[in-house]
Amino acid sequence: MLKNYLIIAWRIALQRKLFTLINLLCISLTLLVLLVLTAMLENTFQPSGVEGKSPRMLQILTMLSYNDERGNSRHSPLGYKVITDYIKPLPSAELVAAVSLPESTTVYQADRTTDLLLRRADAAYWQILDFEVLSGRVPTAEDVAAGRFVLVLNQSTARQLFGQQQAVGQKLNVGGQQFEVIGVVADVLQLNSFADMWAPVSTYPSSDYQHQMWGNFTALILTRDAANFTAIKQELATAIVDFQFDDPAMWSNVTIWADTKLDIFARMLLQNNRQPDSGATTLLLLISVLMLLFMLLPALNLVNLNTGRMLERSTEIGVRKAFGASRQQLVWQFLVENLLLCSLGGLLGLAMAAAALGLIERSGVIPYLQVNINFTVFALGMLISMVFGLLSGIIPAWRIAKLDPVHALKGARR
Amino acid sequence: MIKLSSISKNYQTDKVQTRALDNINLQVQAGEFVSIMGPSGCGKSTLLNIIGLLDRPASGQIEINGQLLGKYSDSQVAKLRNQTFGFIFQSFHLINELRVIDNVELPLLYRKMPAAERRAKAKAALEKVGLTARMEHFPNQLSGGQQQRVAIARAMVGEPQILLADEPTGNLDSQMGAEVMSQLLALNQAGTTIVMVTHNEQEAKHSNRIVRVFDGQLVQ
Repeated sequence: MLKNYLIIAWRIALQRKLFTLINLLCISLTLLVLLVLTAMLENTFQPSGVEGKSPRMLQILTMLSYNDERGNSRHSPLGYKVITDYIKPLPSAELVAAVSLPESTTVYQADRTTDLLLRRADAAYWQILDFEVLSGRVPTAEDVAAGRFVLVLNQSTARQLFGQQQAVGQKLNVGGQQFEVIGVVADVLQLNSFADMWAPVSTYPSSDYQHQMWGNFTALILTRDAANFTAIKQELATAIVDFQFDDPAMWSNVTIWADTKLDIFARMLLQNNRQPDSGATTLLLLISVLMLLFMLLPALNLVNLNTGRMLERSTEIGVRKAFGASRQQLVWQFLVENLLLCSLGGLLGLAMAAAALGLIERSGVIPYLQVNINFTVFALGMLISMVFGLLSGIIPAWRIAKLDPVHALKGARR
Repeated sequence: MIKLSSISKNYQTDKVQTRALDNINLQVQAGEFVSIMGPSGCGKSTLLNIIGLLDRPASGQIEINGQLLGKYSDSQVAKLRNQTFGFIFQSFHLINELRVIDNVELPLLYRKMPAAERRAKAKAALEKVGLTARMEHFPNQLSGGQQQRVAIARAMVGEPQILLADEPTGNLDSQMGAEVMSQLLALNQAGTTIVMVTHNEQEAKHSNRIVRVFDGQLVQ
């Protein structure tokens, strides 16, 4: 029976070319937008490559210090001292890295100055993240301990600063400090690895950073596996019970959450800074609802288009009913037809999304963007197509299946 | 086999209610060939549609094979139509997007039957109407007579007990009409009960009994 449905769906799609074209465009353009968004979300929350260890990684982006009695509140990135005193000692952590947020820094060359984003990191940072080293090397624990002025550039920055010359071995004045370039890594756009250049944390002009509770750092916590997340969170909660502020009169409490990437975005967007629950479920629900709403408008258009198209086949419906098709079987038939069309639209949408992502990457609108249509995005794309097919097909199919056979045989549309 | 008791049917348009059938009582025995005749708009096709469960009466009772049809669900009526009735329409009503063989197979799609068996039965039905050579064609590649023969094959493929034909020769010339009539007679002789709506007295004479309808009522 399914074969019969598919054959007739295919022949009708070929016969009514204009309708098929409008239908396919409607589906594929909607999917194009949704798939580009999905690919970017997937790349952000489940990255591969440099941040491929994310599934067993927690991170701390900010801390909230407050004293409710005095009405004081400060929400800021971590100070280095918080990481060394409270986070690095967590027993269930395999590795803890401290890395500064990217800071705009001026690079001086003989004939020009360039503003670039610099991160300063400890040695664990290079062990947790899997940078693709194109030439030279990345800083070692010795480099960091000795405070060596060594610098890593990404590929685009190396090309921008040195053209076709070999970057490794070059000297560079960064913010008034003299560095030697020791490595070049591939361009990346991920939450923790995005920057133009990297230096050891020990190259800060002053050692004050080591004693600061508030600063410009984030912590990356690598665990043996995701099952340790709960233990880490509990250990962190215990560790900060005795949090020592520099000025206890001003600050009495602190909340620090070790989060997954999804949790971080949820906490940021939903401003859940005081509750342990980041609101990730709410965020995913919101994204799903927004995607559904985005699909709803074209789906409503397709409902009308589909109803018209199906009503043109009222005689066929009458014949099928006369020969024993039940309402349920007819609903199923028209749904299968619509799902087939939507699957084709989905494949077209995937191809268009891949092309659009390629264009965005090449255009440089979003620096270092590298997003691929992987299996997860493909599967999600097909799932979205099916949801779209159901949304736009169920109402027309139900209306058509309800047609009275006598009127349907006469070609009547009600 | 078919028993209609006090069947009435009204059609409601915007402001006017039309009585299409008025207190019809009719019995058709197994193996009979009954022709329904009457002027245009007298209710012949409405009567045939009610017998074939394509339409529901406003009042009255229908018995098929001794089974009184009360409040049957849509799927129960669909199953009964599929297993008991075969339909032949004046304008053939073949599905143009499907090949001849697929059209003939259609009633079997709604039964639990393996694809190979469906195909074999459809081929056998086409063989009976002499159209095996045309089974890969599409309906619009056939003449009117051939299309009606395909429609007969489709109606008979499921071996229904009752064949309902609504002016089966109405769109055919006399020679093709005669061919179709001979096919129907052969089916009747093989045991199929036939109820046929027709305007053609000559064709009606081939049947066992003629029922005449006038203004929605049976007349003797």
